Amino acid sequence: MIQINRRMPAATALLLLSFLSTAMAGSAVDVESPWIREAPPASTVLAAYMVLKNTGDKGRTITGIDSPDFRDGQIHRTVVEDGVAKMLPVEQLTVPAGGSVVLEPGGLHVMLFDPKRPLRDGDSVTLLIHDSDGDSVTVHAPVVRKTGGHDHSHHH
Amino acid sequence: MSKSPTSAFILKGVIIIILATAAGILSARFFLQRTVVQDELAATRFPVSREIQAFELVDHHNQVFDNAALEKRWSFLFFGYTYCPDVCPTTLSVLNSIAQRLQDVDADIRFVMVTVDPERDTPERLAEFVTYFNGDFLGVTGTDQGLEQLTRQLGILYERVQPEPGSEAYLMDHTAAVFLFDPDGRYHAVFSPPLSVEAIAGDFRKMLQDYQ
Repeated sequence: MIQINRRMPAATALLLLSFLSTAMAGSAVDVESPWIREAPPASTVLAAYMVLKNTGDKGRTITGIDSPDFRDGQIHRTVVEDGVAKMLPVEQLTVPAGGSVVLEPGGLHVMLFDPKRPLRDGDSVTLLIHDSDGDSVTVHAPVVRKTGGHDHSHHH
Repeated sequence: MSKSPTSAFILKGVIIIILATAAGILSARFFLQRTVVQDELAATRFPVSREIQAFELVDHHNQVFDNAALEKRWSFLFFGYTYCPDVCPTTLSVLNSIAQRLQDVDADIRFVMVTVDPERDTPERLAEFVTYFNGDFLGVTGTDQGLEQLTRQLGILYERVQPEPGSEAYLMDHTAAVFLFDPDGRYHAVFSPPLSVEAIAGDFRKMLQDYQ
């Protein structure tokens, strides 16, 4: 009994900490309409897109987006300079208070390297969005076939 | 020096005339601009299409892709690579949408992606990549020299970007435009990004009309 009592403060602290981190995670960015472009069979690089929304009253800084389903993930920005398309690594992404940042084809995107399993239209991929406070938001993004033809739509 | 009713009346009249004239000029400009825009092409078209010097590449069926392969049909050429996650799939989707939109056109049209990364993009790899978007799309690769023969004439730039430490996959910077060749095998026009399905399909119909 004494042993348990001695451990109580630690347990309470742990419980408090977990509540705190949940609260902090709740104040992080909201992720809307995440999706991953299905890649041709041979492809080992995919792109994820989404809208990052910040409903809080202070700016949030996204320091990385990755996935347990891929070897690596990097935020990139596609820019066209003098007609030449380039992908520039983005170290940090600031989502202003009350604002949003859009990741979309031909612009900001998450480049995902080497899928650990074959990913086809309709599959779900876990994405982790990390911010500068050390918090992470987990979202599930559908893999969507987009070829410019009569593709299936997964918009609900 | 109080204003007489007459001068106030004249002043009102002058203001009305000025406003009416301004409205007239603005609306005329608006309608004129619309007419001009409707007649313009989003593409850059050459007054006389340009001859292409000899080049030799290979398509994803392992067939020679040279000047002769550009003849007897319209060809849209895009220069990309298969390890490209954003720009190239997006462009091939746009090209596929254009292909769907031009299905009714009485002309032989082909869509080709030429790789700027021949080191990694084998014919087999290209075949899987381009036919994923459209079974009729053609992938083209070749030697560095063959690629240079063609790209130099079109002013296409491409460069390998050194990967970050710990990452073996390199990226490529590459010209994002789409190039149109006419059935004479000549360089006819170029579409610069941002690429619009409507604009490119519309321009193509116009150019086809002018060509015949």
